[in-house]
Amino acid sequence: MKQTRSFTRRSALLAGTAALALVGASSAQAQEALRFGMAMPLSGGQATYGQDQVKAAEWAVAEINQKGGVNGKKLEMIVLDTRADPQAGIQAANRLISVEKVPAFVSAWSAVVKAIAPVANDNKVVQLSVGANSADIAKLGDYTYTTFPLADVDITAVARYAATQMGKKKAAVIYINNETGTVAAQIYRDVFTKAGGQVVAYEAYDPKASDWTGPLLKVRAAQPDMIHIQGLVADTPQVIAQMRQLGLTQPVSSYSAVYNPKLIEQLGKAAEGVIATSLAPGVTDSPAVAAYVERWKKEVGREPNGLPYTQYLYDAPYIVAAVYKSMDDKKLPMTGENFRKEMLAMRSFDLPLTGKLTINDDHTVNKPVYLMEVKDGKWTQKAVVN
Amino acid sequence: MEYIYTLVILIALGVVLASSFNLIIGYAGLVSIAHPVFYAIGAYVSALLARDHGVPVPVAMILGALAAMAASIAVALPSLRVSGDYLLIASIGFQLGLLEAIKNVSFTGGAGGLTNIPPFLIQTAGREAYVALVVGVAVLTVLLTRSIAHGPYGRALSAMRDDELAFAALGRNAVAMKVAVFALGSGLAGLAGALYAHYFRFVTPEQFELLQSAAILTMVVVGGIRTTWGPVVGAILLQALPQAITFLDLPVALLGPLQGLLFTGLVLVFMFWRPQGLVAAGEFWRPSREAPDVGRP
Repeated sequence: MKQTRSFTRRSALLAGTAALALVGASSAQAQEALRFGMAMPLSGGQATYGQDQVKAAEWAVAEINQKGGVNGKKLEMIVLDTRADPQAGIQAANRLISVEKVPAFVSAWSAVVKAIAPVANDNKVVQLSVGANSADIAKLGDYTYTTFPLADVDITAVARYAATQMGKKKAAVIYINNETGTVAAQIYRDVFTKAGGQVVAYEAYDPKASDWTGPLLKVRAAQPDMIHIQGLVADTPQVIAQMRQLGLTQPVSSYSAVYNPKLIEQLGKAAEGVIATSLAPGVTDSPAVAAYVERWKKEVGREPNGLPYTQYLYDAPYIVAAVYKSMDDKKLPMTGENFRKEMLAMRSFDLPLTGKLTINDDHTVNKPVYLMEVKDGKWTQKAVVN
Repeated sequence: MEYIYTLVILIALGVVLASSFNLIIGYAGLVSIAHPVFYAIGAYVSALLARDHGVPVPVAMILGALAAMAASIAVALPSLRVSGDYLLIASIGFQLGLLEAIKNVSFTGGAGGLTNIPPFLIQTAGREAYVALVVGVAVLTVLLTRSIAHGPYGRALSAMRDDELAFAALGRNAVAMKVAVFALGSGLAGLAGALYAHYFRFVTPEQFELLQSAAILTMVVVGGIRTTWGPVVGAILLQALPQAITFLDLPVALLGPLQGLLFTGLVLVFMFWRPQGLVAAGEFWRPSREAPDVGRP
């Protein structure tokens, strides 16, 4: 008896869910607004970053609408979860394309962007990759563009700076054995060697590792005078901590993912001298960024996770709005094809938090690289490499 | 429309995976959770043959399924000869090891994944044709598992599962039967992988890891292990529910955690309310309904 009752209750719940889903879909279609999509990880291991990035984009959309929207029309952002998982990403993209019928959408995380690319190409809908940095992103076809500089930009800058400005001769590279790590580590090795240095150790570690003694001891045996770590936000501080425990005192460089208040929080004194890159102007470079970080502190009570990434995400709706405005001015139908044409015709965008953006023909963008160093427990700017 | 097609394809592939896995873990009682690795072998072999060696896609798909089958026999033979639990260890080892290998060689695209997989049917006969193909394979899989489980072979299977010694005493070869069922289930998973690869045209080693094992296991358990329709219900539920939630127009701050809680929540709910799954296997839950009365004064 108990069994049947609980079963009816559950089927009622299911029916209710389905009904609500239908209502939600029909009411969304009734509104008149210019819509674009956003497919980001809202759950799973990457959610801490994805959610902060979506929040930044939401602020930007609200601000655009406050200032009158796009030619008086409301800009609307449809957010879907990708869990940073390729399959979930494809579903989100299909949903945005065939149900919400958006001409363009924003996505991130290299594997997701790559998985979505064929879908975007088939449907002629523009995918704007904002934050994925795999060098392959530039080669995904006509309908995937990045607004974020790809790995070669900042890794090249940091490798060249180490070899020429810092005068380092022997570098060790230790990297995470996944897409981000392998590609970037190769770039570092090539650039550093070309600039006259020598890579004396080149060690990979497993993405799920929690102990790095093996590769670190090999690095120690090679006696480098510079160590470059190409890891993820979660593991890099641990690698540095273990490295210092093993008596490796060489200067450490890394890349944009590490430029994060968390690193200093987790490492304390061991963080001193760590060099990271930032692909967006910092608090000291731009009053707009300072005000933006203030807003985070006031409204959320902390700085955003991965500040530069959130800056790029904040600016993404501005790019979309600018292209939509131009399409609306010319009375072009809101299709992905027209979006792509207009975006390439405009090419340059002046953005509030990341400065000027120029989209190159080969699907890349150029940006200055800010080298940041931990000094007295704070990230301070070391150099700007153009 | 493409959204619906994609959803139907993913549900149908889920049905193939869950049904074939049910054959292994349910009917044959073989403890292994490495089903995704055979899914991966099918996807990678078929994609690579079609992309780099010019093999026609349908042939490549069948070769992908056969490769998965061959790999499963290679894993099962030595481990099943020893004893049941070794299959679990050997198959997980095989799963993690092979994925690690895929990540570290360049012709599979490494950790970045395999791109530019040639499409099949979509451009010539339209997406509908592909949907029909995948749904057809799913229906055939369900019918096949049904006829196996309910035929004389199925009775032999349950005899082997419930008492292997008695089964061997009757003069039947338990190892041969286990290997055959394991190979058939894994081959079907390989076919699902090939069907996935040529529609979505991008595969990455990440998507075949233990999380995928958990997802397939959840489909089988929530749907109802050792039943024909349980895995089907489970696959539909687990693929469609996360999608249905996104139509609720929830704020982002709620949507994320809700999606994350879904799997865990479902498993917990079913553990307490309906441990036998949505579709209950007849012989299995009758005793459990009587159980509460047994110890009462």
